[in-house]
Amino acid sequence: MTRWWRRQRALADFTLAALARRRVKNIGLVAIYALVVFVVASAMFFSTALKREAGLVLADAPELIVQELRMGRHEMIGADAIGALAGIRGVTRVTGRLWGYFYDSVNGANYTMMVPDDPALAPGPGEAVIGEGIPRARGLAWDTAPLFLSRHSGDLQKFEVTGRLPTGSALVSSDLILLDEADFRAFFDLPEGIYTDIAVSIRNSREIDTIVTKAERLMPSARFVTRDDISRTYEKIFSWREGVMVALAGAALLAFAIFAAEKASGLSAEEAREIGILKAIGWNSSDVIAMKLWEGGLVSAGAFLLGTVTAYLHVFLFSAALFAPMLKGWAVIYPDFALAPQIDALQLTTLFLLTTLPYIAATLVPIWRAASADPDQIMR
Amino acid sequence: MISLSSVTKLYNEGRPNGVRAVDNVSLDIGADAVTVLKGPSGSGKTTLLSLIGCMARPSAGRVMIDGRMVSGLPESFLTEERRSTFGFVFQRFNLIRGLTVLENVMLPAAPLGPDPQALAEAARDRIAALGLADKADTPVEHLSGGETQRAAIARALINDAPVLIADEPTANLDTDLTHRFLDIVADLRAEGRTVIMTSHDPRIWQSDLVNAVIEMQDGRVTGAFA
Ligand SMILES: Nc1ncnc2c1ncn2[C@@H]1O[C@H](COP(=O)(O)OP(=O)(O)OP(=O)(O)O)[C@@H](O)[C@H]1O
Ligand SMILES: [Mg+2]
Repeated sequence: MTRWWRRQRALADFTLAALARRRVKNIGLVAIYALVVFVVASAMFFSTALKREAGLVLADAPELIVQELRMGRHEMIGADAIGALAGIRGVTRVTGRLWGYFYDSVNGANYTMMVPDDPALAPGPGEAVIGEGIPRARGLAWDTAPLFLSRHSGDLQKFEVTGRLPTGSALVSSDLILLDEADFRAFFDLPEGIYTDIAVSIRNSREIDTIVTKAERLMPSARFVTRDDISRTYEKIFSWREGVMVALAGAALLAFAIFAAEKASGLSAEEAREIGILKAIGWNSSDVIAMKLWEGGLVSAGAFLLGTVTAYLHVFLFSAALFAPMLKGWAVIYPDFALAPQIDALQLTTLFLLTTLPYIAATLVPIWRAASADPDQIMR
Repeated sequence: MISLSSVTKLYNEGRPNGVRAVDNVSLDIGADAVTVLKGPSGSGKTTLLSLIGCMARPSAGRVMIDGRMVSGLPESFLTEERRSTFGFVFQRFNLIRGLTVLENVMLPAAPLGPDPQALAEAARDRIAALGLADKADTPVEHLSGGETQRAAIARALINDAPVLIADEPTANLDTDLTHRFLDIVADLRAEGRTVIMTSHDPRIWQSDLVNAVIEMQDGRVTGAFA
């Protein structure tokens, strides 16, 4: 065993010395390789993190949301609908929700204003609980500095900031302002007895279709959005599965292209001569191949490591800055949001195998041929 | 004991540029002896060394090493034979560019799983014995002709092989260094090892150390003196 290790060590030492010799060429190779891994790993990290964010949104979402429509547009809904929906068999809870958007003319950002579902979370009158994006967007001096909102010139509403939303999901909470119900209605000039929409909880999720059918009969003009619908929408927006698959396939192709250009041309005369020398001084074919395996392994593992680490930093530290165009059109404060670090081990392993194995395998083919030839040419 | 019987080596057989580099050579080379091949350029000395050293296969005839027939073996067995039996000094040195003298000298031992410290020490000793100690950590492409030759000799000695094959080992050495090399050859002979070299150098074939001189001409052996 120690002998085996010593042999591997000696071969690895030689490989490192050999790699260092063609420094420029090898650095170039690793750089291109790492760039491929970087792009794919970034896309992977990004989509995994978004998927998790979306999962959190969905976990909080009610099974069914009922929205009033008028002229095909979302309209406020009356409180009488709450009673009607509560009468349907299998419905356990019906609540009117209050939420809306506020355009902040001070900095051009959009906030989501909301009265929390759970009264325990609701701030008291004159108070607000805010997401972590708000103080940043507004340049609030300190954590609990009061929030002044202006709906039009000459208007100024003051809220005491009594809490900050946890940053578990930046997508969900970053731009959120939670208010007391009375404050909300006053702020938007909204009379009692109407809501933005209605959330319905049901006992058994398999009954959802029946319940929706009954509710449609009661409220023919309403729109019914189930959690499945939301989930499907998210999948469409991010389309992570397709995206990751395409990216992985692209990586494999690119990795193939790199070594095809580099290796399929066969060995350089210099490399072939070196293999001849090694064989002449007593190395056998498996020594040469083991040495080349070290070489391929060091190059591809080095590039993989470099690519994934920079991708991790890019996505989770620099908020996927290179993917910013994908985020355009979202609220102004989103491009600033930090994704919670999230890694899918299976995806990472797949990426590792998909990029390193083909590279190493293709490196070995011409070596195999050179390593099993007679070395007498180098005698001359 | 190495013996060749009716060994012939053809290059580019059947083509206009075909060469009969070694032609029907039969030869016995004693074990603990020093044998020198001499002859004009192109007479087949290097080719004969590569046949003895299991580097090339004869087109006809047989090569036996210590009673083992090696001429028909596949390449993987020949590698094993080269590793366990021979140390080589090539006419063109064949050091690996970019690596230091020390790294080059250690190279033949690398696949044997050596203790790195002990190997590096042994390699430095060999290098120092050839007066190259101050160049041990220099890349080989920065060496002079004579220094390169000595690095190649040190590499051939690292595995303590029973047979040293050296192709014009003193072509680039001055008288003093030639004598140093002959001292090493004397040590090898005293240890009971075999040395086979080619040389144009009268200092070599006139040396008392040499047990046999074999003359070649046009691929044939034209004379053998003990
Ligand atoms: N691989 C080869 N292909 C074709 N011809 C070859 C090959 N190797 C050697 N020869 C030819 O065989 C002949 C003998 O060559 P060899 O190298 O054995 O001569 P040598 O005695 O070592 O000469 P020198 O003293 O110049 O080193 C030469 O004519 C050479 O051109
Ligand atoms: Mg020659």
